[in-house]
Amino acid sequence: MSDQLVQILEGNTFVVSDERGDIEASTTDPTGLFSFDTRFLSRWVLTVNSERLTALSTDDLQYFQTRFFLVPGSGTVYVDSKLSVIRQREVADGFHEELRVLNHRSEPAELTIRIEAASDFADLVEVKDALAKKGSYHAQVAGGSLVLGYRRETYSRETWISATAPAAIDEQGLTFTVTVPPHGEWSTELDVVASEGALDGSVSGPVGIRGQHTRRVRRNMARGLEKWLRKAPSVECDWEPAEHIYRRCMTDLAALRFSTLTMPDRSLPAAGLPWFMTIFGRDSIFTSLQALPFAAELASTTLLALAERQGTRIDDFRDEDPGRIAHEMRYGELTAFEERPHSPYYGTADATPLYVVLLDEYERWTGDHKLVRDLEHAARAALNWIDEYADLQGNGYVSYQRRNAKTGLENQCWKDSWDSISYRNGDLPGFPRATCELQGYAYDAKVRGARLARLVWKDAAFADRLEKEAADLKRRFNRDFWVADGEYFAVALDNDGRQVDSLTSNIGHLLWSGIVDKSKARSVARHLLSPQLFSGWGVRTLAEGEARYNPIGYHVGTVWPFDNSFIAWGLRRYGFKAEAACLVAGILEAAEVFDGRLPEAFGGYPRSATRYPVQYPTACSPQAWSTGAPLLLLRAGLGLEPQGDNLIVDPALPLRLGNLEVLDLPGRWKRMDAFGRGRIDTDRVTRR
Amino acid sequence: MTATDHNGAVRTAVLPRPATRDPIAEFFAGLAAPGHLATFEGQSATIRFDVARADPGHWYVTIDDGAVAVSQRTSEADAVITIEPPQLEALVTGRLNAQAAILRGLFTCEGSIAAAMMFQRCLPGPPGATGRAAPISSAAVMAQRRPE
Repeated sequence: MSDQLVQILEGNTFVVSDERGDIEASTTDPTGLFSFDTRFLSRWVLTVNSERLTALSTDDLQYFQTRFFLVPGSGTVYVDSKLSVIRQREVADGFHEELRVLNHRSEPAELTIRIEAASDFADLVEVKDALAKKGSYHAQVAGGSLVLGYRRETYSRETWISATAPAAIDEQGLTFTVTVPPHGEWSTELDVVASEGALDGSVSGPVGIRGQHTRRVRRNMARGLEKWLRKAPSVECDWEPAEHIYRRCMTDLAALRFSTLTMPDRSLPAAGLPWFMTIFGRDSIFTSLQALPFAAELASTTLLALAERQGTRIDDFRDEDPGRIAHEMRYGELTAFEERPHSPYYGTADATPLYVVLLDEYERWTGDHKLVRDLEHAARAALNWIDEYADLQGNGYVSYQRRNAKTGLENQCWKDSWDSISYRNGDLPGFPRATCELQGYAYDAKVRGARLARLVWKDAAFADRLEKEAADLKRRFNRDFWVADGEYFAVALDNDGRQVDSLTSNIGHLLWSGIVDKSKARSVARHLLSPQLFSGWGVRTLAEGEARYNPIGYHVGTVWPFDNSFIAWGLRRYGFKAEAACLVAGILEAAEVFDGRLPEAFGGYPRSATRYPVQYPTACSPQAWSTGAPLLLLRAGLGLEPQGDNLIVDPALPLRLGNLEVLDLPGRWKRMDAFGRGRIDTDRVTRR
Repeated sequence: MTATDHNGAVRTAVLPRPATRDPIAEFFAGLAAPGHLATFEGQSATIRFDVARADPGHWYVTIDDGAVAVSQRTSEADAVITIEPPQLEALVTGRLNAQAAILRGLFTCEGSIAAAMMFQRCLPGPPGATGRAAPISSAAVMAQRRPE
């Protein structure tokens, strides 16, 4: 994707255009207006007297609003235009564009202003593949609107385009023939509405996919962002970048909020902008956990939305089992025709135990027993899934192996690329695979489920049973996964129950889950901060020295900020304050370099070698769990832990931060402030 | 299983079947039989199915804190599903996925999408699935973990 692309969005509706505001989709530049995983405009080109325009500047006013300042002509060094064009675009159920043309001369300007429009109605999944479409297209002028349509059997999608100023409308666009007075202005408002299309094939008006009124939605959006930022705790820090990073995170989190059709007034975090603006079980749960101290409502919506979609059946195509939490939901044509399984797809082995972890952590912060009661069935079904459906090898461990061999996911853990799980020598294990962090999550789910059973569901027998199972799992795990000669935990057990023995960041998640025996924790912490795993910025996904190690390999050497935030939390859990502070320092300093917005991953090169973190190229920015990482790092650095109705603050901060204050932390204690002073010299580890 | 296999399985599963069976009536009778479904505890909604050219032409499902009742009333409901008999039969026998079907325009839902989402939890899975364990009822999930 070129750097010049401009993105704005609301929910899962977004526009990607060039810096002039034009859309000319191609397989290399996936521009367009997208809604519900479908492209509703693949062409949107403005001309004035048959001339294209040039951008003077492009301002992102809000995440859902952009203003383009343009002049006619093809962009020479010297611009001396007698006309300016201002395009202001806002996204809602489609987009709304205000087009203003300013005449700077002292005589009238006779202008032909033209907007060309077309749509290929591509499924977002196929945008880069340019798959042949199986349906047919139509375009017509109806009731003052240009209607572009696509139909395949009963599947129908339409784009409705209209303008407030008089226009000559044809099947390829709208033409305005106008005279702009001397030093005067002409303007129009354009509405582009993404519509489902009427079932009976009639063209009578746009059927809003969300059935909401566009203008009302827009006003709510502006108010919503202000309110969101006002409600959030405030951060003050002697180390100046901290406040900027925090504000960037909260603003990006606001942009990543997503409402489901069933709960239009609530929002949960989607996975990434713009291509992953949908429910992802794993990503939504991790991000909600990271953001809990700052925005607990993301967690409650995530828990409710995932309960609504929790598996109830055995369905091989969707890898669905009863109690399983969904992996990914999509709404495009390929999903509709079951050419892809995302309706939703359930192929994830971690989201289900993590669901229970989030429910418990949410209760610890908010004291919201009502939600825990309402979700009792969902939580029990999730706990049931761990034992009944996830133990694929009958060895008492959670494993994964897809049943949908064609379009299902091979690796159903967070490191989901093909080569992410390997032996030290680089060989790849067979399936099913039982990765280590899954056992940690399962352990934690049982421990936390027991707490909720005792506290809220009033079922002591169930709690006893879960605790017994958890203790048994912990005992077996510390025996079966421990790589004795290396003193760390294997990344997985393979299909023969043998250890997959490479050294990975996964061992940090084990600390977070609490499954590690106290006697083994120091070794794990030592490995995490060793030169093999710790780059100076953060913990690498795979240790230097392993056969598949590659500092720019997706899950085999890069540093993931989200991964590090959970590892920092894990180090704190076992009392490794100085080690946690090194991760806090490394990742926050990387965030400073990335101007507050951490990428999904960056290169695992030693910090001393590159001086700057090298960004790994990804399509999505911001990414939800990278956005949440600094929030969890602040929590880990300040040592924030709810205990009953109190919030414990036990800071262990890098020296460089100086004084750090987080004010008005919401929770069952209403509002509390947390203070800490940086005392740990992390430089000798991060800058060694 | 591939998408094509899946669709193929859907097609081959349609025929043959005994002419006397009425899977739609059987499904709704089976839904109401236990009187209570734990998966719907704490939740309430009404869902009406308007089935064109069918007798009966309406199914009315009432969910009230886990209690489930089915009738053929035509009164107002939180969600109204308009559907043809073959699609409804495919849905209640697990041969058609509700979420994919609504995206495809095979039926429409007016009113509360949340109510419709809730209802789809009690639809069966596709015939012939090979999951490791047989699906257990939601009542069993709760019951097996309740102390006496």
